[in-house]
Amino acid sequence: MFRPVLGSLVRAVPVILVVAVLTFFLMHLLPGDPAVVIAGPDAPVEAVERIRAQLGLDRSIAEQLFIWLGQLAHGNFGTSLVLNQSVVSAVIERLPVTLSLSMIAMAIVVPVGVACGVTAAYFRGSLVDQGMMLLALLGVSVPSFWLAILSVILFSVVLGWLPSSGYVPLSEGFWPWLAALIQPAVILALFQIGFLARTTRSAMLEVLGQDFVRTARSKGLTEWLAVMKHAFRNALIPVVTAMGIILSLLIGGSVIIEQVFALPGIGRLVVQGILVRDYPLVQGCLLLFGCTFVIINVLIDLLYTVVDPRVRND
Amino acid sequence: MNNVQVQRLGCACVAGLAIVAVLGLARNAVAEPKPGGSLIYAFSSGPRTLDPYVINNTVEIEVVNEIYESLVALGEDYTARPSLAARAEVSPDARRFTFTLRHGVKFQNGKEMTAADVLASFQRYQAVSPNAVALSGVEGYETPDPYTFVIRLKGTNALFLDVLKTPSYPFSILPAEQKDKAAGAADVIGTGPLRLGEWMKDSHLTLRRFDGYSVDPSAQGLDGYAGRKIVYLDAVRYNIVPEPNARIAAVQSGGADVTSQIPQSLSKRVAGQPGMQVQQVFPGCQQVFFQHTQNVPTNNLLVRQAVQAAMGVDDIMEALGEVSKRNGQLSYPGTPYFTPGNPNFHYDVNDTAKAKALLQQAGYHGEKIVLQTTPTYSWHLNATLVLSEHLKAAGMNVEVQPVDWNKNSNDRMSGEGGWNISLTNFCSQPLLGPQQWRPFILTIPQMRGDTVLEDAYRRVFESLDLPGRQKAWAEVQQRVFDQAYFLKVGDYGAINIASPKVHDLTAWYNIRFWGVWRD
Repeated sequence: MFRPVLGSLVRAVPVILVVAVLTFFLMHLLPGDPAVVIAGPDAPVEAVERIRAQLGLDRSIAEQLFIWLGQLAHGNFGTSLVLNQSVVSAVIERLPVTLSLSMIAMAIVVPVGVACGVTAAYFRGSLVDQGMMLLALLGVSVPSFWLAILSVILFSVVLGWLPSSGYVPLSEGFWPWLAALIQPAVILALFQIGFLARTTRSAMLEVLGQDFVRTARSKGLTEWLAVMKHAFRNALIPVVTAMGIILSLLIGGSVIIEQVFALPGIGRLVVQGILVRDYPLVQGCLLLFGCTFVIINVLIDLLYTVVDPRVRND
Repeated sequence: MNNVQVQRLGCACVAGLAIVAVLGLARNAVAEPKPGGSLIYAFSSGPRTLDPYVINNTVEIEVVNEIYESLVALGEDYTARPSLAARAEVSPDARRFTFTLRHGVKFQNGKEMTAADVLASFQRYQAVSPNAVALSGVEGYETPDPYTFVIRLKGTNALFLDVLKTPSYPFSILPAEQKDKAAGAADVIGTGPLRLGEWMKDSHLTLRRFDGYSVDPSAQGLDGYAGRKIVYLDAVRYNIVPEPNARIAAVQSGGADVTSQIPQSLSKRVAGQPGMQVQQVFPGCQQVFFQHTQNVPTNNLLVRQAVQAAMGVDDIMEALGEVSKRNGQLSYPGTPYFTPGNPNFHYDVNDTAKAKALLQQAGYHGEKIVLQTTPTYSWHLNATLVLSEHLKAAGMNVEVQPVDWNKNSNDRMSGEGGWNISLTNFCSQPLLGPQQWRPFILTIPQMRGDTVLEDAYRRVFESLDLPGRQKAWAEVQQRVFDQAYFLKVGDYGAINIASPKVHDLTAWYNIRFWGVWRD
């Protein structure tokens, strides 16, 4: 088991290097200048030039790239130009928010998405199937921004059940923490539930028509056992793959929800970094995202071996 | 019950309600401030830094001016007022400024402020602030005793006290030990009535009452960033809530007490709710289009004047949907440098036929006119789109170039990016006066080298009497608009919302929490 994991990690090294170089060039290709942000939009050109020199932005792109790669080789992700804080500490400060939000959303997505997908596949072509798929379609189509605002008006302003915005750390109590996150997590989950339900449905449809399911039924097994133990287990590979993708998207792609609910997460940090051209911050965050995705992929590879022993034997 | 009885009962009810209302109002009118408690302020974005010498945006200005103070500060009517200086004496030639410091003023670390701290602060400002050019005319400083600070200038500058009152890149006084700290790295220690408590970037920031604060004994009441600053609240928590819908929802649901920067359309959501305070703050910003004088075809004065003639400001202001007023000047009505009468600053010409005639005279043959704008702010994009339609109607070949805010600011100030027309909102500059406009009017590339303008500006600074400076400022504006460097659109306000529990929040340029209390 360790050999494939080790192989995945070794293969990840050039991937991360490519991510690092690409991120660097993409950021530097963007028009704009972080020195303008630091000096202020109204500052004289001379002041902007002085700050550019202080930050080393007056050096050639190649020189800046090699300096940055050199820092990375020493485990130094750099210092944010705007926050006056190291990139790693900026990420660590915001990590609990993003992880909490992602995990709660994931805890909603997986059971609901899988249940919807399996049910829709089992009742293929029926009103139940069509209803579930319509809901899934709505989930992926309705803009989360709009849904989030409606949700705030209903649950926070009209009903007064949940806070409208902000994050409460887990250390201040489980219920306040959950109350702050449940609303954004549900909105975030709705989109992914649709994706997971559709993936599960197609995987199940492929499996449900196969001989071994018919055999299971003919042996006299209950429908529950035939579907869940035999069919679903064999449909798990694409479902697990989809879960990996969803987790990656939840960690890196919740910026709109973080914005509306005023959650100080990593997604918002990256977008703010892009807007002000905070090169080290964005490069560092994207690189950390890259590393996270690699780790998630390795975990998914490991999970394959658990859900399907044939993968392990291969 | 007959009709008469019903009427009498109705009258009695109305009278009763009226008495209750009057009593209620009377109670509010005489309500004594209640000390203690915390207030939550839903704030649009977090400050990048609290080092006063490098802050420039509204969000940072609001927080920093609660923590720090300067020798002179922006008064309620936007003139310079003594703050940490008990008085400021100006020599007859406006080259020597003597500040007598208030005694017993304490920093938030407990140390008393003296002239040595003031000297170190000015020296650090010159070393680290992007606005250091404001002190380029300084010849030297003197500290004859611990409570006197003198600034000597190389030449006459009648507006120097106005330069020092700026709340953007403020000349805050820090302890002398901060002198060698790099830009953005100063410890947050001021002399203001609130001190920094907790700060979680992107999440929240808490300011706590500074119990050692030295109230200015000569001040009578609220006076802008000067005046009598009495803090009743124990703490103010700034919650960073970027989305305006969520900020309003926070106040409605009790998650916040105060919010600001609310679009007019959204403010209607709370306008009818009992007790909810909707404050319109005016003036706030001015909107101005820049025209590039080096890029074809706006390098031709006649083309720039054609653009000026084609623009109609009412359409633009209507498209923005913000609190707005017409004003063709670079100063606000009622402020010292507003030119009285009806000066011909070519405001809101809105004459398509005239624009066509000017284009013909200019020999314009459909060269592309690039309008650079940013969709980051809807008011930028909408104003530019309306202007582009006006220009098309006059026969101009227009291209709207949307870029992000960073590139837009960068290109506007550097003159790069191939644009012909670019837009910006000036927020603090018009409040502060001619000295604050200088970086735009004299140093940006597209206006450099205009000797008429430079000469008029020199007279703004060197005229020792106010009428002389007012006259020179009118000449500066005349030149700016005659040359169609700027196209003035209008003036804009802002909207604050406060819950019924909040008292004595006075609408002004920025929100201040001294004098404010809550139930």
